[in-house]
Amino acid sequence: MKKVLLSSAIVAALLFTGCSSKDPSIDATNGAGSGQNANNNANTEAVNATDIMVNENNTADSNEMSMSALESQMQSVYFNFDQFSLSNSMSEKVSDNAALATTKASAYMIKVEGNCDEWGSDEYNYALGLKRANNAKAMLIENGVSSERISMVSYGESNPVCNDKTKECWAENRRVDFKLLP
Amino acid sequence: MRYILLLCFVIFNLNSADLTLDISKQVDSLPSLVIENSSGVNTTLNKRFLRSLISDMNVLSIFNVDRHSLIVDFDDTDISREARKSNYVLRFKIESLDDSSYRTEIKFFEYNKMVLQKSYTIHKENLYVFVAHAIAYDVNKVMGEESVEWMKNKVIIAKLSARNESEIVITDYTLTYQHTVIKGGLNVFPQWANKAQDAFYYTSLGGFKPTLYRLDTRTGKKRKIISSDGMMICSDVSADGEKLLLTMAPSGQPDIYLYDVRSGRYQRVTKYRGIDVSGQFMDKENIVFISNRMGYPNVFSKKIGAKSVEQMVYYGKNNVACSAHKEYIVYKSRETSNAFSPNTFNLHLISTKTDFIRRLTATGVNEFPRFSEDGSVILFIKNYKNQSSIGVVRLAYNKNYLFPLKMGKIQSLDW
Repeated sequence: MKKVLLSSAIVAALLFTGCSSKDPSIDATNGAGSGQNANNNANTEAVNATDIMVNENNTADSNEMSMSALESQMQSVYFNFDQFSLSNSMSEKVSDNAALATTKASAYMIKVEGNCDEWGSDEYNYALGLKRANNAKAMLIENGVSSERISMVSYGESNPVCNDKTKECWAENRRVDFKLLP
Repeated sequence: MRYILLLCFVIFNLNSADLTLDISKQVDSLPSLVIENSSGVNTTLNKRFLRSLISDMNVLSIFNVDRHSLIVDFDDTDISREARKSNYVLRFKIESLDDSSYRTEIKFFEYNKMVLQKSYTIHKENLYVFVAHAIAYDVNKVMGEESVEWMKNKVIIAKLSARNESEIVITDYTLTYQHTVIKGGLNVFPQWANKAQDAFYYTSLGGFKPTLYRLDTRTGKKRKIISSDGMMICSDVSADGEKLLLTMAPSGQPDIYLYDVRSGRYQRVTKYRGIDVSGQFMDKENIVFISNRMGYPNVFSKKIGAKSVEQMVYYGKNNVACSAHKEYIVYKSRETSNAFSPNTFNLHLISTKTDFIRRLTATGVNEFPRFSEDGSVILFIKNYKNQSSIGVVRLAYNKNYLFPLKMGKIQSLDW
C-alpha cells in the first residue's frame, strides 16, 4: 500500500509538473553602469525550486493486533545522562524482554530503538542512541534471542515521549524501546 | 589610543549575544542606504518583498539600512529629496505580468548617480525572496565587496514536526521560501547531491533498517542507495559529487565509510570500537570527523586510507560536531557539563595554522555548523527558548543573524 501511495504521489507530481513550469527561474537582465541605461549581458539564474512532494505516510497492517498486544509487554530501558551502559535493574528488564521474545513473541522480528534526550541533533547523539540499542541487543542475544531476528535503529532526539523542559522528562527520553515486526 | 579602542570594539563583538536583523549603533560608521518603493499598489507581495530586501541589505553588513522606505516614481531621474541624506539609494518596482509572472526592476544610486539598473522576472509569486537575494548579490558586487554567492543557494532542512515525524523542506537561508519535498515518516539528514542542487540524499528511518535514498527533484525519482543496521547517514558529499562520506554501523559500531557513487562500492575509513561519526571532506584525500577515542568526543582528522589520526581541537572536552573549509574548522562544543544551563553548546572557529580560537555564539544550543562553499559564511541551527532558527555567521564582518522557524524544530541542514 505504501508503495502504491508513493508511486501515485510521484506520478501525480510528474503529471503536474509536466503541465507547468517546474523549474522557475529568475531571468535577470542587466543594464548597469555609470548612470547610463543599457541592456547587455543578459543572463538567467536558475532557482530550481520544485513542486514535487513525496508522501511517505505509513499504513497500518490489519493483522498486527496480536503483535501489538505482545509489544506492549516489552519494557523500555532507561539510561543516565550521556551514558549507554545498562544498570542492573535495566538489564533485568532486557532479560524479561528476551524471555518474551523467545516464547510468545518468537514468531516476530525485534527492532531495538535507541533514543536520546533533546541535547543535540547531530550524528554523535544518534551514535549515542545506537550504542544504547547495541548494548540492549547484546543482552537479548546473551539471553537466547537469535541475532538474525534483531535489527537496530537510532532515532536520536527525534522520538521523544515527553516534551517538557525538565530533568525527569529528559530522563524518560534517554531510553531503548523494543518493537515487534512481522 | 585608536588601537585600544579598536581592540575594545572587537572584544565587545566577540563576546556579545547573537545579533538579529536589528542592527545596533555599532554600524553608524557604515554608509547609509535607503530603499525607494515605486511599486504603487501596496500589495502583500510588495510588503513581503520590501521586508526581505531590507533584511538582505542588512545581512550584506556594508550599509546602515534605513528601516523606513520612501515612495517615489520609478522613472524620476533624481533620487527623492528625503533620500539625499543617504549615501546610497535602492529603488525598486514590482509589477505583475500578463502570464502570471512578476518583474522586478531596480535602480541603485550612489550619491545621486545611478550605478546599476537591472530587472528580474519570476514565474511564481512565492519565489520573490530569491529576487531579493539576487538584488543583494548584485548590489554587493557593484560595491566591490567579497562575493555573497551563498545568498542565492537553496538550503535543505529536515524539520521535526511531531514525535517520529519529519518533513524535508527546500528553503532559502532566511526560511522565507519553504517547499516541502518529503512528508510523512521520519526522514532526516538531507544532503545536496551536487552543486546544481537538483538532487539530494536523505536517511529514512521508517523501515527495518536505516536506509539512504537519493531523490531527484527534477523528476521525483527516488532511488535506494544503501542501508545499514543501527545508523545510516550521509555526512558529506565531495565537491564533484562522486564520493560520499557515510556513517554506518553494520556491526553495531558507528564508523565512517567512503562510498563511490558510480560503482556503489564503499571502503571503511575509520576502525575504532567506540564512536566515529560526522565525516567531512577537507579535500579529496583528507577528512575531519568526530570521535570519542580519547574518552570524550572531539575533532580529529585523517588521510583516507592511512592508519594514523590527528587531534585537531585542544579546547573543550565535549566537541560533538564540526565542519571544515581549507585550514579552518568550526566545531560545536559543550560549554558546561550542566545539561540545564542556558549556555550549553556554542560554536568555535579555529585555524589549523594558528592557535587562534574564536567563539562564534553566546547563548542557547548552537549546532550543525556548515561552511559556505567559499568559507566566508557559516550556517548553523540555533535552539533557544523553544525557538528553532537558522543562524548565519558572516566571519569577515563578525556578524550573526538569526532567522526563526515558525513551527517545528530544525533537525539538520545542508546548503
